[in-house]
Amino acid sequence: MSELLEKAGLLKPHSVYGVMGTFDEPDDLVEAGKKVRAEGYTKLDAMMPFPIHHVNEALGIRRSHLGWIVVCIGLTGTAAALLLQWYTGAGPVDLLPGWTGLGAYPLVIGGKPTFDFTFAMPVTFELTVLFSAFAAFFGLWALNGLPRMYHPSMNYSQSHRATDDKFVLVVEADDPMFDARKTADLLKSLGARDVEVVEG
Amino acid sequence: MAHHTAEIVADNYTLEPARWAKGRNVLAFLALVSWVGLAAGFAMDREQFFRSYLIGFLYPLTIVLGATFFVMVQYLSGSVWSMTVRRIMENVMSSMPAAALLFLPIAFGIHDIFPWSHEGHVKDPSKASYLSPQFFTIRAIVYLVLWNMFALMIYRASTKQDTTRSIDQTRTALKWSAPGVFFLFITASLAAFDWIMSLDPHWYSTMFGVYILAGGALAFMALLTLLAIGFRRAGILKNSITMEHYHDLGKWMFALTAFYTYIAFCQYMLIWYANIPEEVVFYKHRVEGSWLWVSIFMIFARFFIPFFTLLARSAKRNLTILTVVAIWILFVQFVDLFWLVKPTWAHHGVSIHWMDVASLVATTSVFGLVFWSRFKTHAMVPVGDLRFEQGLKFENA
Repeated sequence: MSELLEKAGLLKPHSVYGVMGTFDEPDDLVEAGKKVRAEGYTKLDAMMPFPIHHVNEALGIRRSHLGWIVVCIGLTGTAAALLLQWYTGAGPVDLLPGWTGLGAYPLVIGGKPTFDFTFAMPVTFELTVLFSAFAAFFGLWALNGLPRMYHPSMNYSQSHRATDDKFVLVVEADDPMFDARKTADLLKSLGARDVEVVEG
Repeated sequence: MAHHTAEIVADNYTLEPARWAKGRNVLAFLALVSWVGLAAGFAMDREQFFRSYLIGFLYPLTIVLGATFFVMVQYLSGSVWSMTVRRIMENVMSSMPAAALLFLPIAFGIHDIFPWSHEGHVKDPSKASYLSPQFFTIRAIVYLVLWNMFALMIYRASTKQDTTRSIDQTRTALKWSAPGVFFLFITASLAAFDWIMSLDPHWYSTMFGVYILAGGALAFMALLTLLAIGFRRAGILKNSITMEHYHDLGKWMFALTAFYTYIAFCQYMLIWYANIPEEVVFYKHRVEGSWLWVSIFMIFARFFIPFFTLLARSAKRNLTILTVVAIWILFVQFVDLFWLVKPTWAHHGVSIHWMDVASLVATTSVFGLVFWSRFKTHAMVPVGDLRFEQGLKFENA
């Protein structure tokens, strides 16, 4: 079975996820991260029980693109709302063939024009917020690769400590500089404990 | 964490007397020149003086009300980020006594400013009894007494803490802040009704108080940002108010821009939709003649320009952009008040009188002098607050 999966490229036996080690203090992790990067490593990650300032900068993790995704989808919501209200109220009546049932439906209510930005604004605002909220929520999941039932870092014997009292540094195996032995020695020399090569 | 965190370089938390005197001299000079000018204006055209003075009075007042609201909110929310700018906020707030003094010309100019003060202008008996000069003055005294009481009690607690370094004063300030926010909203709303909305006694909008407070809070945040950046340029508090704090001030300007727009638009849309003559007349006056261009300008100046300028994180962490936006917001706040008040007398087009500007300088410089005098007597940051050290180290996630 596993051979079949292997051939199909679905399972990579004995692949290495990376080298992991723990630190006792958040600042030790940040300092070690800086030094590992100074050695030329680029694929770093960290696990910790609470957020630490500067850890992203120290590990060279870039800011998320989520904001741009939210802006683009939010503005799509703005456009969708305006188009919807303009077309149903004041759009060309026979733009689409009649059988679609999608003709505009102009109604004069209270002597108001069939389309005006003033009354269109609440719906536009709401749809912008709705689209933005969805973009933020689902975008966050997508960028984090969620839902995910399994992550190779869980193979690390100390990974449960990262939810309690330890600060874990990871050098991932797809780093061009990665060499299981040398990388592990580097982490040890920086004061990491329980340094292990973790299988993926 | 102690051994890594960058060393905090302590600033000098008191303003040097020489610098303080320089600031005072500038403000005193501005006050002197503008008040002499206004006195001449009063002698020439009494009616115009009072009408111009109303705008001048409202401008710093709305900002100080915004400051009072924000100081109370800092206590109620237990904010740590604002520790390093809180004393500047409190100093703006504690210039409230100037409002009591500067209200006097309004009290004497009721007949020149407010059309309802003339017999028979308001037909509705209940409205007419509310809008009587006596009751109007009594209400104003109540507002000013309440504002001063809350502002000065909180200010006293905060400055006392500089020496006691005890949590008791934080608790005292908290006790004043909770009812303070409640009374501030009610009295400031009523003051906005009395002093601006009643210029057209037939028009009404229940949202109007929030509209004025939102604009004042926004202008105050812009002023605070500008003061902090100004101090930084002079080398004052430059290690205490860090980029993290500026980032938050930028966020507040951004958020309040959105809030102000929300309120302003809600007021407009409801009136537009209902289309009742006595309500619509307010906007009708403001789309006639050249006022139309001011109204269109406001849509862009109040919302689109600051909103999209401040949208990106990097913009909120750029002091040049923050400075420009803050100056812009302070300018537009004046345009807003001008747009609210002036069409009462200039129905068919924009007209600006030199006394509009002179009274703006006159009132603002008096508020400024009271504000500036606080820096002489007390530290520029709440050194005694137990969360102060934490506030210095604050960082955005």
